[in-house]
Amino acid sequence: MYTYSRLLWCRMNRCPTRGVLLTVVGLRVNRMVMRMVAMLSLVVFSCLSLAAKTEITVWGLAITPDEKGNDLIVRQFERENPDIKVKLLGMGAGAMNPQKLMTAIVGGAPPDVIQQDRFTISDWASRGAFRPLDDLIERDRGSDPRTPTADQYYPATWNEAIYDGKLFGIPIGADNRVLYYNTEVFAEKADELREAGLDPTRPPRTWSEVLAYSKVLTEFNADGTIKRAGFIPNEGNSWLYMFAFQNNANFMSEDGRKCTLNTPAAVEALDFMKAGYDILGGYENTLKFKSGTRGGENDPFAIGQIAMIINGDWMIASYARYSPKAKFLTAPAPVPDDRYYQRGRFADEKDKFITWSGGFAYAIPRGARNIEASWKFIKFVQSLEGRQLYARGQADLEQSRGRRFIPRMAANIEANEWLVDTYASGNSTYELALRQHVDMMPFARLRPATFVGLKLWDEHVRAIEQACRGAQSSEEALVSGQTRVQQILDEYFSKEDYPRVNILGWVLGVFGVVVAGLVTWVAMLIRRGSGRVSPQETRAGYAFISPWIIGFLVFTLGPMIASLVFAFMNYDVLNPAHFVGGKNFVDVFVVDRDLLLKALGNVAYLAVIGIPLGLTTGLVIALLLNTGAKGIRFYRTVYYMPAIAPTVASTFLWMWILTPDNQRGLLNNFWTNTIAQWFGVNAPGWFTVEPWAKPALILMGLWGAGGAMILWLAGLKGISKTLYEAADIDGASGWRQFWSVTLPQLSPLVFFNSVMGFIGVLQTFDGVYLITKGENMGPNDSLATPVYMLFNNGFAYFRMGYASAIAWMIFFIVVAVTLIQFKLAPRWVHSEVDK
Amino acid sequence: MTAEVVFLLLTVCIWVGVVLGLRAVFLGMRLGFGSPGVDRAGLVKRLGISAGIGGFLLLVGSFIPKELGREAVGSWLPLVWIYTPFPGWMLLLSVFMVGSRLIQGRTALNAEEDRGRYLAALIWAGVGVGSFLWLRGMEGQISILRGAIPLHWPAIFGLLGLLVAAMVGMVLAERTTAARGVTKKISAQLGLLAGAVIFSIPFVWLLTTSFKEERDLANTDGIVWVPQVQKTHAFLDPENPQFAARYDGRAVKVKKDSEVAGGKWLVEVERPYGLRGRRFEVPAGSLKEIPRDQPIWSGVENGTAFTAFTVKDQEDGSRLLEVLEPGDRKGQRLTVMPEDVEPVRERGLRWQNYSDALEWMPLETGFGMAYLLNTLWLAGMSVLGTVLSCSIVAYGFARLRFPGRDQLFFVMLMTMMLPGAVTMLPQFLIFSNLGWMDSLLPIWVPTFFAGAFNVFLLRQFFGTIPMELEEAARIDGCGYWRTFWQIMLPLVKPALAVIAIWTFMGAWNNFMGPLIYVNTPAKMPMSYAMGLFASDRGTDQALMMAFATMSTIPVLLLFFFAQKYFIEGVSLSGLGGR
Repeated sequence: MYTYSRLLWCRMNRCPTRGVLLTVVGLRVNRMVMRMVAMLSLVVFSCLSLAAKTEITVWGLAITPDEKGNDLIVRQFERENPDIKVKLLGMGAGAMNPQKLMTAIVGGAPPDVIQQDRFTISDWASRGAFRPLDDLIERDRGSDPRTPTADQYYPATWNEAIYDGKLFGIPIGADNRVLYYNTEVFAEKADELREAGLDPTRPPRTWSEVLAYSKVLTEFNADGTIKRAGFIPNEGNSWLYMFAFQNNANFMSEDGRKCTLNTPAAVEALDFMKAGYDILGGYENTLKFKSGTRGGENDPFAIGQIAMIINGDWMIASYARYSPKAKFLTAPAPVPDDRYYQRGRFADEKDKFITWSGGFAYAIPRGARNIEASWKFIKFVQSLEGRQLYARGQADLEQSRGRRFIPRMAANIEANEWLVDTYASGNSTYELALRQHVDMMPFARLRPATFVGLKLWDEHVRAIEQACRGAQSSEEALVSGQTRVQQILDEYFSKEDYPRVNILGWVLGVFGVVVAGLVTWVAMLIRRGSGRVSPQETRAGYAFISPWIIGFLVFTLGPMIASLVFAFMNYDVLNPAHFVGGKNFVDVFVVDRDLLLKALGNVAYLAVIGIPLGLTTGLVIALLLNTGAKGIRFYRTVYYMPAIAPTVASTFLWMWILTPDNQRGLLNNFWTNTIAQWFGVNAPGWFTVEPWAKPALILMGLWGAGGAMILWLAGLKGISKTLYEAADIDGASGWRQFWSVTLPQLSPLVFFNSVMGFIGVLQTFDGVYLITKGENMGPNDSLATPVYMLFNNGFAYFRMGYASAIAWMIFFIVVAVTLIQFKLAPRWVHSEVDK
Repeated sequence: MTAEVVFLLLTVCIWVGVVLGLRAVFLGMRLGFGSPGVDRAGLVKRLGISAGIGGFLLLVGSFIPKELGREAVGSWLPLVWIYTPFPGWMLLLSVFMVGSRLIQGRTALNAEEDRGRYLAALIWAGVGVGSFLWLRGMEGQISILRGAIPLHWPAIFGLLGLLVAAMVGMVLAERTTAARGVTKKISAQLGLLAGAVIFSIPFVWLLTTSFKEERDLANTDGIVWVPQVQKTHAFLDPENPQFAARYDGRAVKVKKDSEVAGGKWLVEVERPYGLRGRRFEVPAGSLKEIPRDQPIWSGVENGTAFTAFTVKDQEDGSRLLEVLEPGDRKGQRLTVMPEDVEPVRERGLRWQNYSDALEWMPLETGFGMAYLLNTLWLAGMSVLGTVLSCSIVAYGFARLRFPGRDQLFFVMLMTMMLPGAVTMLPQFLIFSNLGWMDSLLPIWVPTFFAGAFNVFLLRQFFGTIPMELEEAARIDGCGYWRTFWQIMLPLVKPALAVIAIWTFMGAWNNFMGPLIYVNTPAKMPMSYAMGLFASDRGTDQALMMAFATMSTIPVLLLFFFAQKYFIEGVSLSGLGGR
């Protein structure tokens, strides 16, 4: 009803004749009605004029209590352009879920403007997902003073949005990273620092210095856990990119065709990170420490639990808000010794210090409907005026809460200078810090503009983990990451070597052949059996099952064939497909082997441990209920309720229950007060650490064991009483009766559940996607699943062909395991028929 | 390591001692009140052994150096936990299994069973050797964690009481079978109760957290179960007044910005959040001042206690207060630092979390109403589609005889094995080419084309209806459709109800569908809206919990009203009862 009335309403708004028609009809009736109709048509027309308003949708801007600047921008823009209405939508702000944008563009319903992390812009641009903006700039350059041009921006920000010589986004903010060091900790440890030959009044400037400082500043508890960390290489925001840039490593070749993740310079940088972790007692030990830290008022750096940290300018506002008493200073992040002393490879380098800059940009997706309005909006947002409005809105909000306002950097140089002059010209810690960041801006490097940006990012994160954990040497880790990125590059650049095919034609062709085969088969069946049944009944029968036949052909068989065809193609939906033969299947097993094995291992873990645990829990409850205990209805309700709670709600609930922070997380609070004290085992980090991520998932699933319980209850009811009576006469104990009567009688149910359970587990997706927020696959891929791999490849890396190959692989595994289960079943599943 | 081993051994001594001691008590009780036919001499002998060894072990254990254990209050029971990688556990398990199989070996009824057990012991021994070698390869990963359960006197008495009660139960159970039944019932009841508490804790936590204030979310003194709210004072702030007004047909709260010509005021919207910052002009007369709810604090100044409410948070971090009590100082203003005053709180529920959560939803969703309506629409259409199409198709497969039926049915069963992942991408392309993106159509339209699982269930159910009914209808001249619609369909109503409920739940929970297809908030169903809300506001625990509660309640209500069908559905599916 609701949608229908809305539909009607929209139609009325859009159809101009309706108002006229009503008016014409109205003329014939009396004046009273006429007046009414006139009013009505007025309403309709005014609605029409409302509808004529251009509405632009902007994605990537969250409406949260901490954002008021965007409100002001939008209001001012709407005031200046009364014919445009702006709608802001978070859509998973920040990294902006790529899958959402992808489906929207392919589906022809993209937003008009999107705020996007700059380093992913080339990714989209390479596939023609964004509209180049050069022509608009060229057109407006002379006429509109707000037109953005390259000279107004920090080069590091502007260049990041350029792909293949064309500009695809207008940078909005800029960030970069510097070293924050807690002066209180430095003062407290002054003597020890001096003893080690280090100056406690200044920050470390080189890699070897920062390690030396860290060694002195780090303190351990008696049990070897970290009490205070001197310097955690990958805390705050540095990643390998920061250190690699400092060491003049670049992860991509100039022409963008080769991934150069593994270079001696990068290996050196990664070795440095590893050395940093070794000082802290290893990567795992650091993770344990990190899982015990919190944000806000208890930020580990602000309260001195971490002495030095490389972080971005966004942290200043947070420190100002939550830790007004923290004493810290900033300095350029430490660089390789050779760079600092300008010797060796760096003898001719001018820049002593290097930072890494990133940030967001506004872009217009392909297929956006209101380009002019969108462009106007982008111009306004990025202009000095827009930035000023934003800062005013934020300042107003912070001041109304009685807090200090520290602006974020803008990519627009003029705007940035205005911000510093207006809000950060003083000498407070925060203002000094911000100016430090601004000063570093000219020395900023940027991530290479490549269409494999996202994959490169994911792989570099994986390499950091592998190397710092000690699972692989730095070089091995980088090599394996490089191979996987290179695979996508090769796939892209070698695309033209493979024949271009008309994919729709292929799908329809194969589909036609298969359907023709099916029709012939059915026709044959009908002819063969026509003697025995009435043709009338045959017709009726087919009529009755026709909904399924149509559904089967359109929603199952068709897509199956399509995905089979895709599996042999290099296809990204937006561009024509190329036939690559079995390459996708080979690649799944060769290039992505590690991840695939990990994902399969994960589901095997979930299946082998999770399914039996879930079934046992359900069975135990059912057995207890089946003793004829009082209040069965009540208990049944209580146990079953979790099973029907909406997945999304219960996932979020459990994410909070399992929060590692023992003051916010329910379970860890309990654990800290009991188990930790009794056994001396610290509360685990659940979803944040590798060994506990899957157990946490299983635990979450156990809560829903009520579903299985209901099934068991029904099964128990079905067991004949006589069997138990006979067992009683034989003198079998309760335990014995369970093993010899109950369990065999229930075995068909066990079988059914394990088959269905396995099929379900192999398709685990919703939960892990929600838990990892779609950003990664859990710590060290411990939550990777085949469907998650498929989803990422299909909807985030645009590799439909590859994703289809994974889909078929999943299908084969399901079939194989199900067949094995059916083969083994007769050995243990009790069946009345056999005996 | 040696200290740990000593601790381990002594801990084992204590625990064995405790167990033997309890056994001695139990035997003593049997001696006293046990059934008359027992072998008293044997009992005395066993009692003596238990008490002797138990006492000795406890004595040895008491030499455990305190400094080896953890700090504990009052008395304490030492605990150890062996921390080893997987093969270590395998080794322990296999040692245990070998031991138990060997012990069982001689007690079996016949030689064949004996042989089986020795064989099992041999296999386990092999496993043990394997794990041992594996463990050797991993080197140095075993450690013994030391700890203790702190025991306060009340806890000790409580535990002892429980044990004594249990033993009395056991002794009595020996005497009569009736008592045995009662003991069994009581223990089942206790187990169920404990489980029920564990299973409902997350729900209770969900509910209480959704009503908590920010300061109760993180608590150093354990989890807060009873929410408290800060008292507020309705304050008409002369410096920063708030007014009620109407904007665009909605009630809004505004603050004055500036006076404009014609006796009008330019005002700025403060609430709801979705309209925040919008400015419009209103006639001065139409503004009605409304109070702000300001938090109340208590503190001490010059040795006298006072309560006061916030007038303003000032930029230097201090807070301007106006005194409420004591009466003689009422109205006085004072400036304090936030850490010097304590909030005045009372037991209560913070409903504001709910209203805040709703207010933060995009404006066009009408405070989340659109989410609910979309979900209901989606669920309703899915139920309609599934019930209609599945019953029609199932009837065709179950009751009509036509060539190719069984073969096609087999094909249908096969499709049940096909993972959704295989068809996901092409389906997406089909629907996007149909222009169905950003709508719920791709999610509910396919339900009108009969899903395999439900057809299978209904077919089973149709199969149980006697053929005579249909034949009688046929003789009366009913066509196939009328027979189905008027005779057969009413008979399968219970099954349809079950399928309807399952479909409803599935549609309500569907996350991946909207994730792929829907972009506009006004068209989103609840499940996905919640995922999105979490990505924007996920750190705000109370709001998340409020949203989760709101999305759970309708399903739970449905469950309470249709419980019968939920439960019966399982046995009806032919899976439970066989």
